[in-house]
Amino acid sequence: MDVATFVAGVLTLAIFSFLYRDNPVYKMAESLLIGISIGYVLVITWTNSLMALLFNPLFNDGRLWLLVPFALGLLMFGRFHRSTVNFSRIPIAVLIGSGAGVAIPAMLNERTLKQMSATVGPLTTESGFPDISVIVVILGVLCTISYFYFSREHRGVLGKSARVGTWFLMIFFGTTFGYTVMSRMSTFIGRVEFLLSDFLKLTN
Amino acid sequence: MRLEARHYTFIGLAVTVVAAMLVGFQPDVTPSPDTLRMYEYIDSLPEGSIVMLSFDHEASSLPEIRPLAVALLRHIYSKNLRPVGVALLAEGTGVGYGLMRQVAREYDKKYGEDYVYLGFRPQYIAAILSMGESVPATFPEDYLGRPYTELPMLVGVNTYDDVAGVISVADGSFTNHWIEYGHGRYGVRVSAFVTAAMVTTYDPYLASGQLHAMVGGLRGAAEYEKLIGIGGSGARGMLAQTCSHLYVILLIIIGNVVYFRSRRKGGGV
Repeated sequence: MDVATFVAGVLTLAIFSFLYRDNPVYKMAESLLIGISIGYVLVITWTNSLMALLFNPLFNDGRLWLLVPFALGLLMFGRFHRSTVNFSRIPIAVLIGSGAGVAIPAMLNERTLKQMSATVGPLTTESGFPDISVIVVILGVLCTISYFYFSREHRGVLGKSARVGTWFLMIFFGTTFGYTVMSRMSTFIGRVEFLLSDFLKLTN
Repeated sequence: MRLEARHYTFIGLAVTVVAAMLVGFQPDVTPSPDTLRMYEYIDSLPEGSIVMLSFDHEASSLPEIRPLAVALLRHIYSKNLRPVGVALLAEGTGVGYGLMRQVAREYDKKYGEDYVYLGFRPQYIAAILSMGESVPATFPEDYLGRPYTELPMLVGVNTYDDVAGVISVADGSFTNHWIEYGHGRYGVRVSAFVTAAMVTTYDPYLASGQLHAMVGGLRGAAEYEKLIGIGGSGARGMLAQTCSHLYVILLIIIGNVVYFRSRRKGGGV
């Protein structure tokens, strides 16, 4: 057994020990995870981001226009002192302004307009039979939206529609929760498979 | 050592999963239409096509992501497609490279000619948009520090127009960004291999056609393994997953029976 597999196996068991109760072995494994993750992200950010995109092109290739983002980045550190905190608002304003400018049209188009357009489809199939899927989708959208309409009391048609809307919401929450449980089980199964095959050599 | 009810629950789950893994029986799975669509899409790509794989996940989801990614890479390499790996999350960077290299060895593929890993770029939206304008400008060097222009496989690969599609291997919302910016702005075909927890998030995009195809969770991995005819972790984990789900259902039934019996008696739970 190589060292990496041994360390991974021991740390997996250390994390599982939390299921009994909080303990020093678990805390050590948790601290290792946090420390290594942060260290890894810092190294990757330094090499793949700051060196590759800023320092190398600026100082080795002489791309002087990169001084602008470099200066904006430095201004961010103004937040650390009361007298310079106002300087940090400049790069934040640039980030928010450009970010909103890029994100709003894209999200409006992809998340709202295209999804709305996909909601409405032909109610019948090519052979003339009602398309149950489309009918359910339209019914679900209208009823769920009516549940979130708070300008009128939920009585009469609106009340019934809102009630059906809650059923659709419950089905969605249930499905999502079921998939999440499935996902967590898969993670657990993956670790058990590692422990049984690579660490303990009980299976192939 | 004092054991509480939750400890028995955990022990029961552990015994169920370990026993299922030790049995070694692999139940047959029937590929879903979504998985079949992804398989047919990859299968239909001409030999030598460039496919961009985006490893948009953290290391913590590796047990679920790994079977998915390995099955996908096996299909890609067996079809002689050429994958280009990128990562929008720093944590997925090393994992993505490790997976591509590991599966490439099975198929005797050479780095630089048959596959390339470009690595991580920060600010995912900027990275996706930037690659739409110029991939070499976004990644002047690959993950190993080799200049982009010196990688034979990437000659002529400048924008999304030069790749057959993007496949996001994700455990979170990053596939959304590929849909919104990659597909929405540049029209690149986006597909996804995602953890089961994300399936309901992306189902509406699949239905609307914004997402071309999607494979989800360990079950999706098992289905894909069946389609490519190579068993893996997905298929091996299916019996354990089925048994663990039955165990959870059993617990829910027991919990409800106990609740209703105690309510009938007028006591608390």
